Amino acid sequence: MKSNRCKVGSLLILITCLIFLPGCGGKREVEDLTPLLSIGFDLGQKPNTYLITGQYLLQKKGPAGPEIEGWTTSFEAPTLREAYEKTNKIMDIEPFNGSTKLIVIGDGLAKAGFKDMLDFLQRFSEFRRSMYLVIAKGTAQSILDVELRNGEIPAMSIKKNIETANNISTFPTIRLGQYLTILGRKSTAPIIPMVAILKSGEGGIEYKTEGQGGKQEIQLEGAAVFRGDRLVDLLTDKETKGYMWLENNVTHRFIDTLGMGESKVNFSGHVLKSTTKYKVVDNNGKIELHYQIKTTMAVEEVLGQDEQLSETEWADLMSEAEKSLAKAIQKECELSIQKEKQLSLDFLGIGRHIEQKNPAYWKTVKDQWEQEIADFPVSIDVQVTINHTGMSNSSPTTK
Amino acid sequence: MTLGAAVLMGTTFLPIATIVTEVSGRDGWMSILPGFAIGIPYGLMVLSLVEQYPHKNLLQISETLFGKWIGKIVGILYILIAGYFGGLLLAQIGDIYQRTTMPLTPIWVFYWGTILLVFYLAISGIEVFARFSEVIFPLIVFALLVNIGLSIPQMEQGELLPILSEGLKPLLWGGIKVLPFAMEFILFLAGILTFLPTSKQDVGQLRTGVWRAVFLVGILDMLVCLIQILVFGPAETNRLVYGFLALGNMVEVSKTVAGVGSLFMGVWLGAGVIKVSAFFFMVTWGLETVFGFKGAKWKLVVCVVFLGIAFGFLRGHLLISEIAFVDNHLILPFASVWIPTLWGVSRWKKGPDVQ
Repeated sequence: MKSNRCKVGSLLILITCLIFLPGCGGKREVEDLTPLLSIGFDLGQKPNTYLITGQYLLQKKGPAGPEIEGWTTSFEAPTLREAYEKTNKIMDIEPFNGSTKLIVIGDGLAKAGFKDMLDFLQRFSEFRRSMYLVIAKGTAQSILDVELRNGEIPAMSIKKNIETANNISTFPTIRLGQYLTILGRKSTAPIIPMVAILKSGEGGIEYKTEGQGGKQEIQLEGAAVFRGDRLVDLLTDKETKGYMWLENNVTHRFIDTLGMGESKVNFSGHVLKSTTKYKVVDNNGKIELHYQIKTTMAVEEVLGQDEQLSETEWADLMSEAEKSLAKAIQKECELSIQKEKQLSLDFLGIGRHIEQKNPAYWKTVKDQWEQEIADFPVSIDVQVTINHTGMSNSSPTTK
Repeated sequence: MTLGAAVLMGTTFLPIATIVTEVSGRDGWMSILPGFAIGIPYGLMVLSLVEQYPHKNLLQISETLFGKWIGKIVGILYILIAGYFGGLLLAQIGDIYQRTTMPLTPIWVFYWGTILLVFYLAISGIEVFARFSEVIFPLIVFALLVNIGLSIPQMEQGELLPILSEGLKPLLWGGIKVLPFAMEFILFLAGILTFLPTSKQDVGQLRTGVWRAVFLVGILDMLVCLIQILVFGPAETNRLVYGFLALGNMVEVSKTVAGVGSLFMGVWLGAGVIKVSAFFFMVTWGLETVFGFKGAKWKLVVCVVFLGIAFGFLRGHLLISEIAFVDNHLILPFASVWIPTLWGVSRWKKGPDVQ
């Protein structure tokens, strides 16, 4: 009887708790929140301060219903929390960090080291380790403040560009979690893609500008190499593409043989599938790393072909195309390896490959790996298979 | 089997990867199953005493075999360890929720919510607790597998390699770190003996249950650790406090569903309640056996003690190190010495009749 009374009493207390307690502390209504899309970090003017830029998504009433627009503000503060405090002082709704997709770091801060600015982002549970990291050519503020020609919010545009990067596989996609994992490996130098404002006339692009400081474009190209959290050097577009091949990060790519000087006929191919494997080989007592890249392509352009070819001649030409395209890939890879040796920084993760395949040898070199990398032998074997050449064989000819 | 597996599992899946990677690095996942498997001989030793001393728990058997006073001292140690650790686990529930999903909610809400559930289970009796575990444990297993499965796209290439590059020694240290989890379960088994059937057939089934529970939980915890090493790498796995919760936060399904970590949190609360309840029961069994204290009044006193300990450990960093201390320096030595000694003495006293 007594036990039954206790049970009923406990049940009543539980029911009361269920009704009154959930969400009673720190509750936040969705309509009172504004999603933070991106955070940008630059060096501040004052010592030990940072210029912290937040890009939010604001909802406003439009003639055809609710519309969204970006709201970007920068604060100079020594910590991220102080920047938040300043944001709260001017905003009538509360920022929500769980929606943050992008972290932009200005190249000035990247050179000085940005570890401290990431601490809050990896510590506070609202943020996710799946946020993308990019390095801004110039300041992060200028990237997030830019007015894009397509009217998009810069953070959204960069995020979409990153998420569709597999279509061209020309730059790596690095998330906060991946960066921290690579940092934990010690032997591998982190690499982060670069983002830059592209003015008309730069980088081979031209567009109609609307007055001074008018709408512009943003481009993701190249990458920055780090020692820990400090930017050491930049990779060119070709060097970054080489990194993508060697890291087995190529899903689809467009590549051509122009400038190779192999023959008067040039080809441009569309990578349909690519796999990169590596082997650590013992060559007469000398340990080497051997990459093997196998790529399937479709040839989509044949340039400089002036004569009609028979089927056999066309097949021979495609064999030649396979060799030329393989050389083009090899050249990109060699540029990347050359850069790695020149910097003595293992952004290709060669040390990790050796550790995985030959841990006993790795133990003998790991302590002086940065010195070893400059002379470490690396070889590449590229095999290209052309699946088809589109809707026609020979090109239109004038002769 | 389900109750045993639920108690053995508890919230072990939250700290296990951090614990084993600290001493075993990227091979840490391999030390989990052997670590749990050490619990099997201990479990079999405890069950062998059921046949010999039916409907008696190990505290009563200790009094019979070691004498009244030594038995009482063992009983008091059992109560103190279970009471202190149960309070710490209650505090850990608050810590987990405040760190991860509800940083602004007052911590007492988690403490009170959990202790009310635990109290309700305690006064309802062991059968209700067993049924509660039967309902919640499959949900825990399902949520674990979903979380693991959805994390696969986030895996980094080759994080598990090289395997055993440091030899077998680090695995030994990893196994030792896992052992206290098995010993927690053994202490629970020591108390629940009174309620277990004693026929030969039933004891045989119980033995099978112990095997199954240990392997099920060992494999699940191993998978949890494996996925964390594969996603975060060993250095990050060790650095994260509750890596599995960070993993839940990273889950993305087709770039549309993201950050579903908080959905799993409700299930993890169930896991926490089972573990705290197990220690609550252990304390009440101890009080009843050693001092003859029983009834709702004493259960309320245990609630107050649990809450007192929890409120005494509001600093999360101290709480985590205290849990590790109790696990490694109290539960592990106490259980690993008490059970074999008791079993050995019972065999010795049984004399030449032993087959």
